[in-house]
Amino acid sequence: MTRKILILFSSLAALMTCVSCVGQRQINELAIVTAVGIENGQKPGTIRLSAQIIRPSDARGQTGAPSGGTGQPIYSALAEGQTIFDAIRNLGRFVSRRVYWAHNFLIVMQEDYARNGIEDMVDFFTRNHELRMNTRVAVTSDSPAEVISTITGLEVVPGQAVDNLFQDNEIVGQAPSSDMMNLEEAYLSRSSEPILARLTLVSRGISNKKPQEHGSLKQVELAGAAVFKEGRMVGWLSPEETRGLLFFTERLESGIEVVGCPNSGNKLSLEFRDARLKVKPSYRNERPEFRIELRAKADVVESGCGTNIAKIRPDIERALEERLKGEIEALLRKAQREYHSDVLKLADVFRNKFPAEWRKIGDRWSSAFSEARVDVAVKANVKSVVLKSEESSQ
Amino acid sequence: MTKLRISNGMFISMIVNMIFVKSIGVTQGTLARIAGQDMWLATLLGTLQGMLFMYVAYLVMKRAPGMNFLAIGEALLGNWLGKIVALVVLTFFIASSGPIMITFVYHLQDYFLPEAPLSLFLVSSLLVGALGCFYGLEVVARLALLGMLFIFLLNVLIIIGSTQEFDIRNLLPVLEQGFPSAAEASLHYDADCAMAIMMAAIVMPFVNNADKHGGKVGMTGLAATGMVTLIWALLEGAVLSAEVTSRYTVSCMKLARNAHIGDFMQRYEMIMIALYSIPVLFEIMICIYGTSVSMSKLFGMRSNRWMIVPACLLIGGFSYRIVGDHFRAMQYLEKVWPYIAVPIAFGLPVVMLGLAVILRGRLRQAG
Repeated sequence: MTRKILILFSSLAALMTCVSCVGQRQINELAIVTAVGIENGQKPGTIRLSAQIIRPSDARGQTGAPSGGTGQPIYSALAEGQTIFDAIRNLGRFVSRRVYWAHNFLIVMQEDYARNGIEDMVDFFTRNHELRMNTRVAVTSDSPAEVISTITGLEVVPGQAVDNLFQDNEIVGQAPSSDMMNLEEAYLSRSSEPILARLTLVSRGISNKKPQEHGSLKQVELAGAAVFKEGRMVGWLSPEETRGLLFFTERLESGIEVVGCPNSGNKLSLEFRDARLKVKPSYRNERPEFRIELRAKADVVESGCGTNIAKIRPDIERALEERLKGEIEALLRKAQREYHSDVLKLADVFRNKFPAEWRKIGDRWSSAFSEARVDVAVKANVKSVVLKSEESSQ
Repeated sequence: MTKLRISNGMFISMIVNMIFVKSIGVTQGTLARIAGQDMWLATLLGTLQGMLFMYVAYLVMKRAPGMNFLAIGEALLGNWLGKIVALVVLTFFIASSGPIMITFVYHLQDYFLPEAPLSLFLVSSLLVGALGCFYGLEVVARLALLGMLFIFLLNVLIIIGSTQEFDIRNLLPVLEQGFPSAAEASLHYDADCAMAIMMAAIVMPFVNNADKHGGKVGMTGLAATGMVTLIWALLEGAVLSAEVTSRYTVSCMKLARNAHIGDFMQRYEMIMIALYSIPVLFEIMICIYGTSVSMSKLFGMRSNRWMIVPACLLIGGFSYRIVGDHFRAMQYLEKVWPYIAVPIAFGLPVVMLGLAVILRGRLRQAG
């Protein structure tokens, strides 16, 4: 009897191996999306979706056309629909392979679409089990279809190129490293608002074939940020204001600032490092107040001042402090006075320190934040002149 | 009862395996919906409550070494009334198949095989579960040891992949919604502990020196489970935030999807789900084992083997009904299951202990 049962079980277990084909997808039958653009459709209430699909035979690491290939590593297509999913389904009318999202690097939204609200976009892409949560998300005032299909000079796949820009973003430090993960967190947060990076098409590339037409090739630039409030985009932050924001949201530690020489009209480049931001909340007269303290060390990395750096050290320290303070204050002006949107996550700091008071003002945080008094103090110390002696500029 | 012996280490592993998968998978989302960022605190509270009632279950079995709850029920209440205990245990294990299958199916179907039919998941898991049961408790217990290793690896992977996104501010302020919210939420973790307590009610007599160390080992098992689960509760709260965690049915998969090691290893949830497979299959095996043992007691059979297939059919039918509809599944998981699990798993040991004290003569006679 035991033997019969074992045979039965073994047969059933063997049968189970046949189900391994359920839901199978062959890689050569997939349209692997590496970037997607979303904008309002031509008809009111519709969505236009552009997808950058990789062409595997042409995207094998070189920019030239391999034998048998077209030379174009990507294929970009547009579709419209009443919803994002509907538009994706409509892509299937002419894309010969099944759209696959697991390798998507980038989602770019057009400004007008973002201003109408991004709830459907956040919901769709977080509900999609294929999508990576570290997919970059950005807003552009240009055409997203053009942004995602702009071939950059170095990379074969544009989506990957923008992803690489994001990866090295902390070096430039002028745009937030926004991805689906932090977008969803901020979108659902009761206290803070989302902030997304800005992508712009700029004519900066130089054609190797026509070098005289310098700046004729469009390239994708990552700088600035889009501010959101209650799920809708309300405005832009400049790259300088975004630098101020990154101290709050991404603990930016280093960056380059250019200040004027105190003794001449020339310039001096300072690389600040080890920047530390502290936010101290307080609650007075039923109103929140914040004291923001930024401390940073800095090195002189380029000087056109033509003088002993040691002599002008206090002046350049002051100039750097004013510059950094100016960036933070400019950001505060925009966030508090213009957009009334707490993209700095000050609410999180206040809520953690004053939970009881938060219960009183949490529901009207937008106005409380706008009226909050914020003091900014910056302390910068120039520590080094890098490789050279302090008199070298004399 | 038999020569079958389960070591203390195996028993601890069985407790961890019995709770871990559901508690990190679906319970944390429920806790976040009730207690917000205090879900780790609710997990801690639930662990302490579970340990208390595990000890009560041990106190019952200490009075009748070598006998499980079903045998003790028969000894205390007689042949027919003793079947009430078997019926209660049977009800518990069939009811527990709902959340266990919700955990198993939704992990695989929602995230990896959305086009695969539900029956595939149910039939395959029940086949494996039945096979484990057929080979006996010792095989299942050894599997739990392997499952323990997998759980350890799973936790290591999630820590490596998530700590870079760890934001302690997401866990603050503590007790923002007050202690009652955290206590209320702990009921759902209690329901997870209930599965381990009821498993102990059936298998503890087979544990080495259970009458001497059973309570300590059982509580250690629950404490160990609390620790490995707390890691996920803290990570889900700090990395995802309570708001995001509360939005998902299977919140641990959300965390697993977010995990990445630098820019090189972007996604590895498939590896994690492979490590997850042994503990979840162990849960299904114990569910079938508990159902078949109580059914065999109910029908007066000596061996549970003949009841494995009927138990699988019962569990399969019930799970199909629950898991097939997400709305019904969530309703059952959050509004029905805790109110079945906790009264039975926390109430039965207390009632049995009371009866064992009052009717100690009968117990001595049976022993």
